[in-house]
Amino acid sequence: MRVLAWRAAVLVGLLGAWELWAGRQDPLLYIPPSKIVPALGRLLALETYPSLPEHLGLTVVEVLVAYGLAVALGLGLGFLLGLPRHLGEIYEPILSGLYAIPSVVWYPSLMLFFGLGPASKIAFGFLLGFFPVVLAVLAGIRSVDRHLLTVARALGAGPGACFVKVVLPGMTATLLAGLRAGLALTLVGVLVGEVLGARAGLGYLINYAYGLLRTADYAALAALALVLVVLIDGAAAVVEARARRWTG
Amino acid sequence: MSLPPIEVRDLSKRWVTRDGSVPALEGISLTVAAHEFLTVLGPSGCGKSTLLSIIGGLVRPDAGEVRIGGEPTDGPDPRKVAMVFQDPGLFPWRTALENVEFGLELQGVSAARRREIARGLLGPVGLRGFEKRYPRELSGGMKQRVAIARALALDSPILLMDEPFGALDEQTRLLMGEWLLGIWTATRKTVVFVTHSLQEAIVLSQRIVVMTARPGRIKASFEVGLPSPRDLASAEATVLRGRLWAEIREESRRAFEVEP
Amino acid sequence: MSPGTRRLAQLGSLAALAGLWETAVRLDWVDSLFVAAPSAVARAILLIAPEAGRLLGETLGKTVLAYALSVGLGIGLGLVIGAVRHLYDVLNPFLVALYALPKILVLPWILLIFGLGTPPAVVYGTLHGFFPICLLVIGGVRDIDRIPVLVARSMGATTWQVYWKVILPAVLPAVLAGMRLGIIFCLLGVLVVEMFGGIRGTGFLLTTLANAFQPAELFAATALVSFLSVAVVLALEGLNRRLSHWR
Repeated sequence: MRVLAWRAAVLVGLLGAWELWAGRQDPLLYIPPSKIVPALGRLLALETYPSLPEHLGLTVVEVLVAYGLAVALGLGLGFLLGLPRHLGEIYEPILSGLYAIPSVVWYPSLMLFFGLGPASKIAFGFLLGFFPVVLAVLAGIRSVDRHLLTVARALGAGPGACFVKVVLPGMTATLLAGLRAGLALTLVGVLVGEVLGARAGLGYLINYAYGLLRTADYAALAALALVLVVLIDGAAAVVEARARRWTG
Repeated sequence: MSLPPIEVRDLSKRWVTRDGSVPALEGISLTVAAHEFLTVLGPSGCGKSTLLSIIGGLVRPDAGEVRIGGEPTDGPDPRKVAMVFQDPGLFPWRTALENVEFGLELQGVSAARRREIARGLLGPVGLRGFEKRYPRELSGGMKQRVAIARALALDSPILLMDEPFGALDEQTRLLMGEWLLGIWTATRKTVVFVTHSLQEAIVLSQRIVVMTARPGRIKASFEVGLPSPRDLASAEATVLRGRLWAEIREESRRAFEVEP
Repeated sequence: MSPGTRRLAQLGSLAALAGLWETAVRLDWVDSLFVAAPSAVARAILLIAPEAGRLLGETLGKTVLAYALSVGLGIGLGLVIGAVRHLYDVLNPFLVALYALPKILVLPWILLIFGLGTPPAVVYGTLHGFFPICLLVIGGVRDIDRIPVLVARSMGATTWQVYWKVILPAVLPAVLAGMRLGIIFCLLGVLVVEMFGGIRGTGFLLTTLANAFQPAELFAATALVSFLSVAVVLALEGLNRRLSHWR
């Protein structure tokens, strides 16, 4: 309980300091919280940007499509490489190696190929979300206790039953963590893509407001994006916990 | 059926490793009679687990054959042979009951019937009330009992056990041995039991087969003509123990000194 | 499978992929306005190398500054927060939450405050690199096995000796893991700022080439910065292996 009080104190302290300092300096640039709240109100009332729902909707759709692709292809490639004995050994180092490259370097090439529309954001979000999923499938398959497969075979399980009744349940925890990480990264990818160059979407609006120096509106949009992120990851966390319990 | 449940003829197996191949078994021949409790005794690394895996159909031999009830083996057949390993290998995401049901599930037995059979087996193994527990909540001995119940659920005439009590502490081992004998007496299965414990061999089995160090061959076979319940302190038991040790000591030493 | 065979399979696959790509462009399966063949990219690499090299140097310079700050702050704060129970309980959730936050959202704000040029790039890069380093160090500190510490104390080691001889070596792997991750994040942050703010550097080069529809040069520049990044990470990994061989 006391810890919570301390945390609240830290939060309040930071916000307070921010408020005071921004008031002292140029409030336009430093955007104190007191300016953000009314801006947020106006934003949600659709006064600032009446087309906000469309932009928000577009961002959400981009995330869903990108994530769907990342999961489908990630699971597909992951099982394709992970189940046969040696393929994973060959290709996993390549996949992990690609992780060392900052993902944003791919974005200009994607913009060149797909243009400024939603496709490049979907492609980028897909790229970011794909790797955690594939790597989680490979790690998950590896983490299955080989002895359990021997036991299952001795009890009469064929390859199909082994996969469904031993491999899949055995890798669930790892897989879910990867799926959740993939969603978070896809979301970031779509937002980054929209901010860096787009014609519509939440990130685009953020860039737009910033470009016009409507700093309070920009901050309100950023806050909205933050809420979106928290909600999506929160939902993913709930699903992960629920599924964890179900597979014991 | 007058055919012996298990017939092993001239079995040989080499394991292929990175640096070449290692012989595991060489020319093993063995017959197990119906309802017999046979123990295979041998030093570490002599191939006893390999032998059991081949009989169970999990591993193919390089030469020779195994016949179960007169028919050659071709992969695991849970209707005829059930196996228990040193590592109980319980599925951590299934409860004790669901673990026991696993083999029955694979055979397409109905859910209600499965539950009934599984419940019926957990009782005699002393785990009534633990049906809904997960393996992580069970002790080593309990896990092994669930594994044995899972094997018993298959209702196969033959039971193969590969050092099932090896990972347990001594007291638990003794208790589990007694309990296993009770099960065997009640079910009249043919049991092949692998161990490196002389004591277990003497207490549990009707016949003991001694294996050499790698490559494994059958060195000797002993009929344990002792009355049950076995009294390890009796003169006959002591003599038998001495004879067994004499056979196995040299093999153990060879296994001990073998290069890594 | 031997390492040699594996390497061969990997290189073979990459070569096959490159071959397919080359064919696809030559046979016009893909529009060469958007995609350049590997042969064109290879030529472009040689062409742009001098200019790209200079810009990579600029980017790297900012990255190194950001990295130094991230590492300093990350390790320093990580050690303290990890070691002091009360601080950990109060602050760790904040750190985890901030780490998960898409930092792109505060990028416009940083540009407003710091203007254009090197400062915002360094600040944003530091912001990106700080959190993984700090969190990994915190994890490393909290994972420390108490027993070697007790043994050292019981042998009469002073606090300073305990830190130097027992705790530091135990934390080192986590610190190095953080540093390996941190460099990628710092570089990422700097590139994003260059792209968004049109600041001189590799990021800006990439967006410029994309807008000018020069796929060969763009892929070439992308390849160069990728190689650089992988090289840096491999170097850090080599350092890691050298320093923690006792594991």
